[in-house]
Amino acid sequence: MKKVKFQFLMLSVFILLGSIATAKAQDANAILKKMDDVMYSFKDMTGNNKIVLIDKNGKENVRDATISQKGTDKRLFRFTKPASQAGISVLSLPNDVMYLYMPAFDKVRRISSSVKNQKFAGTDFSYDDMESKLYTKKYSAKMLKTTDKVFILELKPLSKRSAYSKIICSIDKQNYYPVKMEYYDKGNRKIKVADYTFTKIGKYWNTSKIVMKDVKRNHTTIMIMSDVKYDQGLSDEDFTVRKLKE
Amino acid sequence: MKRVNLILTLVALFLFSAKTTMAQNNSNLKLSGYLQTDQRLLLQSPNDWAWNENRLSLQLNKKFAGRAKFHSEVWLRNMGIPNISSSTDLFNKGIIDPWNLEIREAYVQLFGFLTKNLDVKIGRQRIAWGTADKFNPTDNLNPYDLEDVLDFGRHRGSDALNMIYYLNSDFSLQGVFIPFFQPDNLPVGVFANILNQGIKLPPGMILKGYKDHVNLPRYNFAKSSTVGIKLRGFAAGFNFSLSYVWGRNGLPVSTYNTIVPVDTLGGVSVTSQLSFYRRHIFGADMAGSIEGVGVWAEAAAFLPAHEVVMTNDLSAFYPEFPVPVTQKTRLLAKKIYVKYVLGADYNFANGAYVNVQFLHGFMNEAGKGNLNDYFFVRVEKGFFYGKLRLSPLSGGFVVSNWKDIRHNYALVYVPQLSCQATDNTEITLSAAIFGGKGESIFARLKGYNMIMLKMKYSF
Repeated sequence: MKKVKFQFLMLSVFILLGSIATAKAQDANAILKKMDDVMYSFKDMTGNNKIVLIDKNGKENVRDATISQKGTDKRLFRFTKPASQAGISVLSLPNDVMYLYMPAFDKVRRISSSVKNQKFAGTDFSYDDMESKLYTKKYSAKMLKTTDKVFILELKPLSKRSAYSKIICSIDKQNYYPVKMEYYDKGNRKIKVADYTFTKIGKYWNTSKIVMKDVKRNHTTIMIMSDVKYDQGLSDEDFTVRKLKE
Repeated sequence: MKRVNLILTLVALFLFSAKTTMAQNNSNLKLSGYLQTDQRLLLQSPNDWAWNENRLSLQLNKKFAGRAKFHSEVWLRNMGIPNISSSTDLFNKGIIDPWNLEIREAYVQLFGFLTKNLDVKIGRQRIAWGTADKFNPTDNLNPYDLEDVLDFGRHRGSDALNMIYYLNSDFSLQGVFIPFFQPDNLPVGVFANILNQGIKLPPGMILKGYKDHVNLPRYNFAKSSTVGIKLRGFAAGFNFSLSYVWGRNGLPVSTYNTIVPVDTLGGVSVTSQLSFYRRHIFGADMAGSIEGVGVWAEAAAFLPAHEVVMTNDLSAFYPEFPVPVTQKTRLLAKKIYVKYVLGADYNFANGAYVNVQFLHGFMNEAGKGNLNDYFFVRVEKGFFYGKLRLSPLSGGFVVSNWKDIRHNYALVYVPQLSCQATDNTEITLSAAIFGGKGESIFARLKGYNMIMLKMKYSF
């Protein structure tokens, strides 16, 4: 019995030492790239997005939207509820090109990239958070530590115009999707925390739920994805100003 | 005229039925809209109501299998205050509670018609051109809706055939045909005389009576139609477009005044003929972002099709003269004049938004030398996740003569506080303070300082 216990202990130690050695061997940026690969491995995606805003008194407001995405840098986001926002749409294209469609004016407006630092439609997400862009293109990574379940990386923005000084990102060691992100402002104060839930749809890991909490204002946004479909053959023409106005 | 409308309607119905009988309906008729009340009170004693508008906007939308779309918007409004002058008016609810019904838009849009790159829109529609914010010199297809002069840039819909051919994802070519001319509608209520320039009479004459006659163009293809073409593109990170419009000026100009003496003290009566002149408009605009700052520029070069001359007929003063005695004044030379806007905006990390624009030539101004300069600024800041928006600095500065600014300037200050009371209810409290001297539209609003309350419920 004692022999069995000793063998089990040795095995555990070996596994632990082995995993630490593996983690150390993995470059932080390589891990971040793997996270990008998991998050953006699909060719295209469509889905419905339910956004629940919860203020510090627990009062909830709900918004609905549809979302479609192609590759890593084309995204169309269209509100369907509430009525005051229905039809308002944002088209994000490569190279910081963003368009806003306001149905009340039947006009598409090019919006400046400075909008990235603003809260997206009253949520705790910024336009920057909502941007469909590879993390490896926005941040450089440094390994902080590993636990038995996650890699913990420090992400530093490559652009000086970012609203964040850093993001502490926890990445699932097994599947390489993000589990948690902690956002720090320029004064190095923690301002937001996002908890991710991933589910597998077909061969892809899907961000089924994100709970983003503004720790300073005690305000929370829950974003829930549903009816997600992948690789339906969306074309570049589905991400044009023409489509935005439809 | 009726024939043109009939043809357009038949074409629209034919195209619509042809496209939709093949397509399976994939959505129900959707009703949406809003209810808005807009109340304004003059700050100057005795604090009259300057504006009372209760608007129900009803919008109907239906999509047909992604290949066609129907859209309409109707305004049902209670507008103004009771204007009762005799007891018989009390029998008329339309006078006691003035209301009106207006079809703002009603069109059918076909996507990928005949060829996958062609979209066609037929019916009453707003065709908004230009990249600038509210002040768009190139936006000349629809008539201006000047009813509320503080609602800058509002236009009415036009009955039009509008086609856009997409050359690729970045470039498109648009063609618009509007069969009949619709003039601008003029301001109402306390703003009624804001655009009225008055009549310049020869020395010694005093205006005692005035009437006018509006000469609309003959309603046929050659005289009343408006055409426009536009090339849109995207290159080097900037959106741009080039456009051309052949149409008429929407505000009438006085071209023939018959002046008749009515007394021996210099009193005269004037009968004025008003008309709408033809013009070419060449437009260009661009929009983009430089170092995070949104930038845009828009310009329109106006070329009157002919010289616009005002004739004063003084024959009544010289009854024994064998030929008419007239005095001619050139209102507008057949020369190009350019209106333009330059603008920029920026979103700060703390939620503040700044928008600045410089405008040369307001919508009612025409002719080189008659265009004023306008500087506009808007600073906004959102609070409580955008539920409260404060605009403490919003307004403009106008210079109508740089050589004598002290007597030719105007200031307008419009601070605003808006609150998203519920998801669908927005309440806006604002004020409009005007000051200045000279001939600009804002200088003429001096004395109309007001406080404004708007509530909008969307459904």
